[in-house]
This record gives sequence, structure tokens and C-alpha cells, in this order.
Amino acid sequence: MDEMTPNVRTAAVRADGLSRRYGATRALDEVDLTLERGITGLLGPNGAGKTTLLSILATVNEPDAGRVSVFGLDPREAAERVEIRRRLGYLPQELGYHRHFTVAGFVDYVAILKEITDRRRRAEEVARVLAAIGLEARARTRIRALSGGMRQRLGIAQALLGHPELLILDEPTAGLDPEQRLRFRELLSGLPGDPVVVLSTHQADDIAAICPQVIVLLQGRVRFAGTPSELAATAAGRVWAADQRDDRAHLSWRGGDNRWRHIGDYPPTGAEPVTPTVEDGYLLLSHAAGAR
Amino acid sequence: MTSPFPDAAGPVAGADGHAGEDLLASYAAGTPQPVVVWSVEAHLTGCARCRSALSAHVDAERLARNRSVLLVRAALGDGGRGRRLLCRCGVPDHVLRLLAATPSLRRSWLLSVIGVLALVAGEAAAVRPGWIPARGPVGLAPYPGPEVLAPFLLVAPLLVLAGVAAAFLPMFDPACRLAVAAPFSGFTLLLVRAVSALAAALVPVAAAAFLLPGPGWLPVALLLPSLALCAFALAAATLVDPRAAAVMAGILWAVPVLLLAAAHVPLLIVQPNAQFACAAVLCACAVVLLARHDRFELGWMR
Repeated sequence: MDEMTPNVRTAAVRADGLSRRYGATRALDEVDLTLERGITGLLGPNGAGKTTLLSILATVNEPDAGRVSVFGLDPREAAERVEIRRRLGYLPQELGYHRHFTVAGFVDYVAILKEITDRRRRAEEVARVLAAIGLEARARTRIRALSGGMRQRLGIAQALLGHPELLILDEPTAGLDPEQRLRFRELLSGLPGDPVVVLSTHQADDIAAICPQVIVLLQGRVRFAGTPSELAATAAGRVWAADQRDDRAHLSWRGGDNRWRHIGDYPPTGAEPVTPTVEDGYLLLSHAAGAR
Repeated sequence: MTSPFPDAAGPVAGADGHAGEDLLASYAAGTPQPVVVWSVEAHLTGCARCRSALSAHVDAERLARNRSVLLVRAALGDGGRGRRLLCRCGVPDHVLRLLAATPSLRRSWLLSVIGVLALVAGEAAAVRPGWIPARGPVGLAPYPGPEVLAPFLLVAPLLVLAGVAAAFLPMFDPACRLAVAAPFSGFTLLLVRAVSALAAALVPVAAAAFLLPGPGWLPVALLLPSLALCAFALAAATLVDPRAAAVMAGILWAVPVLLLAAAHVPLLIVQPNAQFACAAVLCACAVVLLARHDRFELGWMR
């Protein structure tokens, strides 16, 4: 038997050959991936296809080609699609709000859409998610009076309704301040029931901090799938620190210690090798994809 | 000393007339009989020592959870008299809460509808006393001439259509992506919103038609065309872009109304032949909607 077979059978979420076009733009190009229980980070620049991929997994969008399986369910079948949605928590990248709603009113509205129709249970569930994200004291505040960071937290709160088994978060840390980001990481790490969590981000440090698995999506294709340390290791021996800028490097930037960090194939004069980070690995992959 | 706590004799009630640790612990956990709870509460009101002792038994997490639930309940409220009345009539509370996201049920929208209706109906009404000169041949009493009704006949069903379109077009629902990704039936949500928007718009339209200097049957005669237009927009939305569907429905009404107005016979658009045509359109659209309602479950993002 193929060594991969057991993994294929147990994958909670699986995508095979997903493709999606918007006019002449190919957003996804034959994407294959599997997601296990736990947190998976989806890393990629703007326009890499992250949002399209996540919206397909969330059954909001349909692929032009390819198949998706979520907990063994096929979203093309109406009944199975509804079952997936019952087990889903979704934070879209650009979540719109009814600005006249209160914070509690909005989460209550989403709870009804998630079929939590019993009034008492709904109030308890709304209270639980607002407390989890630190917004319970703002329950009566109108959404139009919230800051951008608070709205983002509200978006995260609604995604947590009903203890979803599949939690899809599209750039959840955008707009959060450092303290809120730490709290968010703590929240995700402590989610009960071992759900499948997939979050897209530009922040490599978010990935390094909370994601046991990482997928790098570049130009609509999966360029890397593995652990953060494996991603960092792809840049091993190709990251240096130096006092001067080096034009031969693929990428160079000045760090907080006023020294230049170089990613490239050759060490700059007088440079010393440094331990690569997840960000280094990602930048190197990104550069390689751009050079193709 | 006699224990002030009924059914809590022995080690539960304190020997000195205060609540014992076991009693306070069970009170904090919410397990005693109601009569014991009342007695403990009566005692706590006047006893600082027991209140202080009680705090050691309180589950802080449960307290925080209850506080959050109370805050949420206070924030959600009961929705006012209108919602309470509808609840008493048997409309489920959660359905009424869903309607809060329908723009065409908001006060500002309804006031706009009433404003537009007042404008066109006011113009027609002003013809009767001669404040505005009538155009075209003037008919017999009790109303000055059918031509004066043309603006109202054009606008009234379009206002109903606009209300329904606002209830289902994604551009009017900023959280539409959440609705699409949720298990609640998209078709049910659409119907609930569309029917409520239809009802909310028909009331001022019928009232304006009743007040107009026109035939007495006009308020009823507008019902079927309005329903047919909305059904056409919904059915067409399963085939084409929903915005295009709403525009097509609007054109479908506006063109014949304008042509008939130009021919000085605007009332033909609501007379028997037109009513039959509207009934046929309504039936056909209902069939299309039932056959293709799955499109509303998929969402609009494709």
C-alpha cells in the first residue's frame, strides 16, 4: 500500500487540483493540499490566491476545476454543503458589518444564521464568544462606534460561535495591536475540541508562534507545505548579517540592530551566517517564485 | 438558638444563627430548595459576616459568565413594542431578529418610500381642486382624469420592487458572505426578507392609492402587478446577475406604463387584461423559483 494512503484517509480537509480564474487572472492553479486537526498557517503575498482558496474551503465560492472534501463531505452536494456549514466558523477578509447593529446584536444575528435559534442558548453563546475576545463590556456599543481593531475582534468572535470544527480565518490579525495579537494567539492555541484551524496572514511571526503547519501560496500555487522549522530550514546557509549592503543578495534590509540582513546565494564581504527564520524561508521562496 | 434556615438544620446552618459553610457553599452552587434560598438571601441582606463568608464559595468563572450573559441580554433587549406584538402573533423571535438586517424595513427607507408616494400622490390630488392644471382630456367625476394617475402608477410598484430588491441584493447586505457560509437556508432567508419588505412597502402604497382621486379599486389592483414584478426579479436572479434582474423587472413595468400614459390610457396597466398577464407572470416565476431555489443556497460570489 502507498505510504501516503493513511494520511489521505485521515485528512480532515482535502483539496485536489483546485483552479479558479477571475477573467484573465488565474487566482488558483491546480492547488492540492490537506489540512489536519490543529492550526495551519497560510502564508503568501497579496494576490497569491489565499482569499480565493479560503472562500472555496468555506463553501462561499466554487472552483472552476478540482474537488474539495471537508470531513469527508462534498460541498457540491446541497445536503453535505449545509452539513459543512454547520461545522464551520468563517472570518472573511473583508467582513462587512451592519453598522447600526450593536456588538451583541450582530453576533446574535450570526448565531441565528448558524441555526442557534433558542433564545437562551443564543444569549449564552453570544456572551461566551464576546468574553473570549474581550468585548463583553462593549455588548451594547453600536458597530459604527467601534475602532478597526475592535471590529476585527468582533469578526473573530462571530467565527467562534457554536464551537466550529473547521475555523477559517482570513487575515485575522490585521488591525490588531501587539497585545491583542498575543491574546488572539493564546485564544487559538486554547480552543477546545482540537478543531481544524486555517488562518491566512502576512505575519510570519504569527505563523512561527502558533502554527504547527504552514502552507506557502505563491501565484496561485502551493510552493511549500510543512512545519515552520522546515520552512525556516529552506533558507539555511543563505542568510547573513553584515555591516554593509550587498547588491548581489536577493533581498537585503536593515534590521533593528542597524546591521544589514542578506538573503542570497553568496555571503557578502565580512558577513557572518545567521540562523534563518520562518520569514527568511518565506522571502526566499517568494523571491524564487518571482524569478520564474 | 433556633436556626433561621428551614430544612437546613444540623451542621448546614451555623450553630450561632449564621449560615454555616456547607449551607453557603450549596447556596453559591445554586443547589438548595427555593425556600432555603430565600431564607439565606433574607439573612445575607442584613449580615455582613455571612456575605463576606459567601464570597469564598462563589465560583468566579461562573459569576463572570453570568455577568456576560446578563450584559448580552440587556444589549439585545426585547426589540420594542412592534417585535413583542409580532411575537405574540406567533412569529418566532429569531425570524424577527433576522429582519433587522433588511434595509428596506428600516425607518429611513420607509420614510423615503412615504415621501416619494406623498409627492406623486400629492401631485395627482392637487389636480382635483385645480391647483395643478390637468394634462390631456379630463374625465368625469369623481377624479379629474386618468392621466394624473400615471406618475403614481409608474412609481408605486417600482417602490415595492425596490424594497424587495434591497432585501435580497448582496450590495445591501454588508455581511452577505457570512450569510452564504452559514447553514441557515439562503432561500428561506430570502423569502423571509422579501415577504416582509413586500408587506412593509405595500401598506403605504395601498394607503396612497386609497387617498388618490382615482378609482376605488386601485389599491387592490396594484397588488398583483407588485407581486408579479417582485417574483420576476427573484426568478430572474436565479438566471442572471441579481442587480440586472431587478433592473429588468423595473424596465418590464416602466415601459408599458409610459407607453399607455402617452396614449392617455394609463389605467389599462392595472385593468383586467393586465391583471391576467400579471397573474401568469407570477405563476411562471413561482415555478422558476421553486425549480431553481438552489441558486440562493450557493451564494452570489461565483
